[in-house]
Amino acid sequence: MKKIIYLLVTLSLLLVACSAPAQSSTEFDINNWDSVLAAAKGQTVNWYIWGGSDSINAFVDNFYGKALKEKYGITLNRVPLADTVDAVNQVLSEKQAGKDPGAVDMIWINGENFFTLKQANLLYPDWAQKIPNAKLVNWDNPAINLDFGNPVDNLESPWSSAQFQFIYDSARMIAAKLPRSYADLKTWACANPGRFTYIAPGPGGFLGTRFVKGALYELSGGADQWQKFDQATWDNYSPQLWDYLNQLKPCLWRKGETYPKDEAELKNLFANNEVDFSMTNDITGAGTGITAGLLPQTARAFVFNQYMIGDFNYVAIPLNAPNKAAALVLANLLLDPEFQAAQILPENGFGLGYAIDVTRVTESSALSALQTASTKLGDSATPASDLAKSLVGDSAAEYQNLIEQGWAKNVLQGK
Amino acid sequence: MRDRFIFSPWLALAPALILITILLGASLVYGVAQSLGLISVIGANTVSLDSYRNLVTGTGLAGSEFWGSLAFSLWVSIASTLISSVLALLVAVWLSEQRSGNGDTLALNWNLAFPHLVWSIALLLFLSQSGLLARWAASLGLISTPADFPVLLRDRFGIGIILHYVSKEIPFLALIILAVLRTQSTGYDLVAENLGASHWQRLRYVTLPLVMPALLSGSLLVFAFIFSSYEVPALLGVGYPRMLPVLALRFFNDPDLRSRADGMAISLIITVIVLVVAMISLKKSEQK
Repeated sequence: MKKIIYLLVTLSLLLVACSAPAQSSTEFDINNWDSVLAAAKGQTVNWYIWGGSDSINAFVDNFYGKALKEKYGITLNRVPLADTVDAVNQVLSEKQAGKDPGAVDMIWINGENFFTLKQANLLYPDWAQKIPNAKLVNWDNPAINLDFGNPVDNLESPWSSAQFQFIYDSARMIAAKLPRSYADLKTWACANPGRFTYIAPGPGGFLGTRFVKGALYELSGGADQWQKFDQATWDNYSPQLWDYLNQLKPCLWRKGETYPKDEAELKNLFANNEVDFSMTNDITGAGTGITAGLLPQTARAFVFNQYMIGDFNYVAIPLNAPNKAAALVLANLLLDPEFQAAQILPENGFGLGYAIDVTRVTESSALSALQTASTKLGDSATPASDLAKSLVGDSAAEYQNLIEQGWAKNVLQGK
Repeated sequence: MRDRFIFSPWLALAPALILITILLGASLVYGVAQSLGLISVIGANTVSLDSYRNLVTGTGLAGSEFWGSLAFSLWVSIASTLISSVLALLVAVWLSEQRSGNGDTLALNWNLAFPHLVWSIALLLFLSQSGLLARWAASLGLISTPADFPVLLRDRFGIGIILHYVSKEIPFLALIILAVLRTQSTGYDLVAENLGASHWQRLRYVTLPLVMPALLSGSLLVFAFIFSSYEVPALLGVGYPRMLPVLALRFFNDPDLRSRADGMAISLIITVIVLVVAMISLKKSEQK
């Protein structure tokens, strides 16, 4: 028995020895930016970021990593994730284990995971509008102060913008024959059976959810009524939505028996000539895919005439982040006009749009850099005027689950 | 002194046991707690059996898929186990009749060295509609486009998943059976042959009873493994129907933290089924 006790004692000592020494974070006042900069100097910022795109990884390292080191003495530690939910689970487990400070300083977060961490009260509060470059962001825009319909509440700061678009291959089809509405699309799909499919709506398949939301907007004749949740509106229009999708189903790739689960899978089907359309959220359209060699050189982006949902994406700081000051500096750097101009150019590999409102930039050289960058998107991007014409906001948060669960029940499992 | 003798094997096992108990025990406790709706980070502190009730009665989103997923899991696991057991038996008997030494077991071991993840990606690369075989068939003019290739993977009946497990488990089971066959003397077989038993009769009345205990416990292990594994059905399955582990992770990772209870409840149901099968398997191997 004694030996067992000795063993237990040794083991617990080992466990204690293994836990990392608590890192003392230097004090700072968010309202005094110089104190943030001083506290951040010498820190390492652990940025948990989706790592599925080599070109985005390189962009992050080459642009932000370098600037942080040279200008602010901060080391960027990019932690690549297969799925952002992994970072959320890490923060949740740290909370359960009572680990503070934790390991995560900043997360490139999407609406779903933002919802999770907000629900659990695990985000560093009250900072997003206090960093210096927040003045360049139009915080009055509901597309910015709501994330998947959920109020941002100063808990996350935007990085870039995106808009739902389709991709086609100009070597296979001519632009004049492209469908320009959901009604057109159904006609096209049933005239070309098996040549269209969409991403399954649900966690990981937000582009698919967005595609279905667009159909809902068109069937109900407008996007505005979906900005606020109303059960009666939903009950009124959802049967029409399932009807539309079920009519589309027999004309789909593999007759709608299965759907690609994410953008990568759909992109593969498209590149392999199994279907004629892919989907993207990139402002550069097909550009980043072409640069990465995932799409043919002749791939082009296009939009319907209406109801193409656009939104912003964000970074958030966990409540138990060990290097909050450095994370704040990085979040501020993301909004810097120089880096905003760099991020939309297809050759830099990121390919998402501006988070800042260009008209708020006062410095003339920065302004002209931003304006020139947006003219350099090339043929593979959707023309800016088409994007602007079709742009609508996302629906209220409550619809997200109704659509995803209703789709699984009425379309995927139905008939 | 006598105490020492009783305790010594336990003492020797203690480091491993303690680690396993702490790590597994703690996560099991958390798992059970979460399945009962105790999710402290969102302040959910009341015990409820709602998740289990919803699953069993088929209500809610997880519930609506539960029975279908259970049936699908059973179908895939049972079909894979049966097919691979029968084929493994044939392979093992054939190999033991060759008496060729260790070359053949090397061939079987070679397949075992591949992790399931790698094997299923390899299957995808070869057999999917955009895979190598489809492209070769199309370029040889056997089919007009790669997409005309038959759907072998990611199909609604789990054929792809079964194909994966059959190809992975035949070598495993064959090695188990071969181990039994090679330790038996050839005497029984010779006696039966002398008494005029046909090849089939010898297989039925001599070989089969000899290998049955090993085959049965091996098959139960294989069943339990397939029933509870995640990566293969996730890669080679479709969105609906899904096997139980895929369904469990789907709800565990739901943005709404309250859904974790459903995910955990499904996981624990899987655990219970696997434990029962493992216990039967243990009993069977003890009997032999």
